[in-house]
Parts: sequence; structure tokens; C-alpha cells
Amino acid sequence: MTTDKVFLSASGLSKSFDSVQAVNDISFSIERQEIFGLLGPNGAGKTTTIRMLSTVLEPDAGDVEIGSRSALREAGEVRKIIGVCPQEIALYEELSAIDNLVFFGRMAGLGGKEAKEAARANLELVGLLERGRDAVRKFSGGMKRRVNIVVALMSRPQLLFLDEPTVGIDPQSRNHIFDTVLGLRDEGMTVLYTTHYMEEADRLCDRIGIIDGGSMIALGSPDELKASLDQDGDVTLEEVFLNMTGRSLRD
Amino acid sequence: MTTVLRQASLIAAKDTRIFFRDRFALIFSFLFPLLFVVGFSLALGDVGPSDDDFIFFVSTQEERGISRQIIESLTSAEDSSVVYLEYDDAARRTEDGEIDGFTLFPGDFTERLFGDPPASIEIALGGASPGERAAIRGFADSIAGQLGQIGTTMAVIAEVGGPEALGRADPASMAAGPGLVELEAEQVGGIEPVPATNFTLPAYLTMFVFFAAAMSAEAIARERQNHTLERLMSNGTRRESVIVGKFLTSIYRGFMQLAFLWVVGIFAFNIDLGATAPAVILVSLLMALASSCFGVMLAAIVKTHNAAVSAGVLLSMTFAPLGGCWWPLFITPQWMQSLGKLTPHGWANTAFNKLMLFGAEFGDVLPEMGMLALFAAAFMAVALWRFRLSI
Repeated sequence: MTTDKVFLSASGLSKSFDSVQAVNDISFSIERQEIFGLLGPNGAGKTTTIRMLSTVLEPDAGDVEIGSRSALREAGEVRKIIGVCPQEIALYEELSAIDNLVFFGRMAGLGGKEAKEAARANLELVGLLERGRDAVRKFSGGMKRRVNIVVALMSRPQLLFLDEPTVGIDPQSRNHIFDTVLGLRDEGMTVLYTTHYMEEADRLCDRIGIIDGGSMIALGSPDELKASLDQDGDVTLEEVFLNMTGRSLRD
Repeated sequence: MTTVLRQASLIAAKDTRIFFRDRFALIFSFLFPLLFVVGFSLALGDVGPSDDDFIFFVSTQEERGISRQIIESLTSAEDSSVVYLEYDDAARRTEDGEIDGFTLFPGDFTERLFGDPPASIEIALGGASPGERAAIRGFADSIAGQLGQIGTTMAVIAEVGGPEALGRADPASMAAGPGLVELEAEQVGGIEPVPATNFTLPAYLTMFVFFAAAMSAEAIARERQNHTLERLMSNGTRRESVIVGKFLTSIYRGFMQLAFLWVVGIFAFNIDLGATAPAVILVSLLMALASSCFGVMLAAIVKTHNAAVSAGVLLSMTFAPLGGCWWPLFITPQWMQSLGKLTPHGWANTAFNKLMLFGAEFGDVLPEMGMLALFAAAFMAVALWRFRLSI
């Protein structure tokens, strides 16, 4: 149940596809203005969890409450306060960056002038205002990622889902994204962030949940998780992760 | 409802903007059908009677008898289009391709006229076209019909080994007497040749409007695969808005195709919309409606954009010939005409042919209009039932 402090609460979430149990009885909460990292190897259930939290996928069991509203029963209301940046570049590549942002903004209910102003502000946020009129297909991978993120900001969400937003981009773009995410948190936004990069999670996240085989196997701040590994000297989050999820290859 | 319409309009505006930036889509939607219309119209030429009168040639292997009287009565009229030829001459000229064929009374015609088995009239054909064959056959049938229990049999000279195959006879004289058989030709009104574009334009318009709609399913499936539809869903967009938006995109494009090709057809090809132009327009609009619903339905039932492409091409290239886009349905066998009725193309083309080739009026094509509306409703029902925003 959400409170003044807790903005997202997931309880007993489960989802299976045919005979595969993708997510199994996951429960956790995210506090307001917190960056919560959801880590896990490939196929652990991160994206399925995000899709259930963001009202796109209906869970087989469990419930999600976001901002005191049930994501199952009041999906329409919940969608007004969330923004989702999927793992894929979910943009219209034939359109310009500004046209993409205006379109998604207007679909979220903004007026024409309001959407244009928000689009310019968001492009400025990720350093792409000067390229705003260019078609997205002409952008580099990092630029597309940055546009992909700010599309999720067009609805002025209180909770932002970022599903592996830094995959396949250069360190400069990655750093720019880190700064953007931290800036958003400082402005009052709550963020759920999934990534494969442990140093990224260590740097950004206030708390981390490690998920494997569809189950939450660890939950705590980066320091708490490192401390849980009974080992002398400097422990990295990657060592904690490998210790918990094993070293065998995943699909 | 207001939200759905607002969101659907935004989706349609966005998709239309993308459409106008896609050079291939523009060429495919507007230039391809135009090229097909021009190419096939030139190949088909005008559809209708030619200026030359058709001459029927007759011959007989009887030296005397009733066949001689029949031929006399057929050829004696002042404006007769029936010409008597000696059998050898007729057979040679047919074989050489000088004439298309001739009608032949066999040597035992009179003897068997009232006997058992009954007499028959033969038709010898050279390289006659299907239309010419039909005319010669009709001529023979007409004579046979007036003589009662006589059948016609057909021999194709090139296929039966030349004139020898028909036997030889040397008719010596023709018996005179009252006319036994009369042919009547009636022309109702002035028959003008119909431009081939009156068939090709609506046919290829139908084919390409449906083809473009089927291809729009690929774009929708691709959006589903790259998660833009799912993103819209999490952004507060309703499923109905996406369905209506995609429908509006498709029907808007269909209307643009209709407007472009009809205007080009009227001003560049001088096509005739027939006695009831509003009916042609209404059939066109209903056809675009059905095609748009078909595209959205296709997007709803396929999983991937590759599947959408395959299904779109396959269905388009199957429905087009079945539905009379490549050749007029009315010249095809009955079973094929029945198959054509399983496709919206078939109903659209039947209506266009009735209106633009046969001078039908508004009420004559109401069944076709109704069927197109029914197809649209059925396609949309499936789309509403099956459409998914996420994979």
C-alpha cells in the first residue's frame, strides 16, 4: 500500500507465458523521489516486471499500487502519472525529434502549444535542441536513446520507468543520461531503472532489487548489498551480483 | 468518445505525414496504378463492336437438298452479311487464315434432317479469336435453332489436320426455293466502343487501394514490434483510438488514391462514369471503406511485420484476379464468377462494370454496395476483436 513516503507498491506479482514462469511472487516498494534499480541477468524477468508495473501487461496474480491508485483497476489514472522509456527505440524514425515529442505529448493530453514548449524544453535537457528538426533516423544510437528517454517525460510523469536506457551507447551519451536522471530525481521524480551495468546502478540508484529466475533475491541499498557479501576489502556491486545470480551464462 | 476521436485524429495525422515522406509508398499508391491502367488499356484497346461488319461464310457438301435452299435464302437479301463459298475454297481460305472460319452443311444434311440421329451443322474454324468463334457459333446455332432438332458441332481446321478432315464434296448446283431460314439482326441505339480504361481504371484502382491497405498492416505490425504502440498505451492512449486512427489513415489514403485516379481518368483518358456518376463515386467510397477495414483486420491477426507483408501480398495477389481486377469477371466461367463473390474486389468490380460498361443505374448496384458495406463491417468486427497493441 502506498503512503506519503511510498509511491509504488508491488505485492505478490506473478506472470507466466505458456509454461514459463517469467515473474514469481515479487513484492517490493519504491519511495517517492527515489531511484530504484532493478537488476538481473538476461531473462530474469525485469522487463516483464516493468510491463506489469506500467499497466501494459496484466499480471496473473498480485497487485500494483502507484500513487494510491491500483494499476489493475485504475490503469487509465495510473497512466497519467507515469512515463515509460522502453528498452527498444520506440520512436517514429521518419519524423523529426521534435515531431516525435509533440506527437507523444499530444497523445498524453497536452495542447498543441503546450506540447511544443515541452518538446523544446526536453530536447534542451538532453542537448538535442539544435538537432530537433532532423529526422530521428539520421541520429546516432546515443542521440536516439536520449530522445527515447525524453519522450517518456512529455506527459510530465511523477514516476519514470527506464528499461535499460544506456544499452549500446558511448560513455559521453551515457554520462549525459546519468546527469539527466539524477536531475529529474532532484526535481522530485521517482525513477525505476533497469540495467546490466553494475557501476551504473551503483552510481545512480538509492536502492536496488536483484531479480533472478522471476524472483526477487536481494533488496537494499548498494552499500547494504555489498555488506551482505561476507568478504574482506573493497567489494563491487558486480561481485555481489555474480555471487547472487551465479556465473553460468544466460540467454 | 471525444478522447478516442482526438487521439485517433492525431494518429491519422502523424501516419499521413509519414506516408507523404515515404517516396516508395507514394509511387506504389499513385504511380503504379496509373502505369497499370495505361499499359493494360493500350494492350486491350477499345471494348465494343468494331467498325467493320462481320461476314459469315457458309458452305455445303450437298449437291442438292435443303441446305442449298437455306443458303440461298441467307445470301439473297440485299444487305446480307452471309457469303456462300465452295467448300474447297472455304476450307483453303480458312486454312490460309484469309477468313476466320465458316459454317458447313454436311453431305447427308437433308437425308438426316428428319432422321435419327438428327442432322447437324458443322463449324470450321481457323485462327478465329474467341469473339469471332462465338459469333460463328451463334450464327450456326441460330440456323439450327430455326430448324428444330439440329445440333451444331465444331471442327477446328488447324486441329483436325486441314480441310481433308472435313471430307470433300463438290456441290454442283444450288436448289432454288422459298427461304427456309431468316437471320434477323437488331441494333438497339447507337453502340459506341467503350474505352478500355472504363474497365482497367476501376479494376486497378480497386486492386491498388486494397494492396495499399494490406501493406498498411505491415506498418502497424512494425509499430507493434518496435513498441511504439505499447508506448502509446502506457501513455494513456486507448486501444480504440489506435484502431480508429489506423483506419482513418488508411481510408484517407484510399480517398486520395480514388480522387487522383478518377481525376486523371476523366481528364487524361476521357473515361465515362456511366449514366449514374454518383453511384460510381459511392461504390468507390465503399470500396475504400472495405479496404481500410481489411488493412486494420490484417494487422490485428498477424503477429509480425514479416507475416503482415507475406499475408498482404498473398491476399492482394489472390483477391485481385479472383475479384476481376485483371480481367472482367463477366467473361469468366460461372464458377469463377462465384469465387469472385467471396472477395470485396469482386463486388466492387461487378458494380463498376455494371455502371461503366453496361449503363446500369443507381438501383442496379445496390446489392454490390450492400455487400461492400457488409465486408467492411465484418473486417472491422474482427479488427476490434483481435487488435493488440503489444506483442
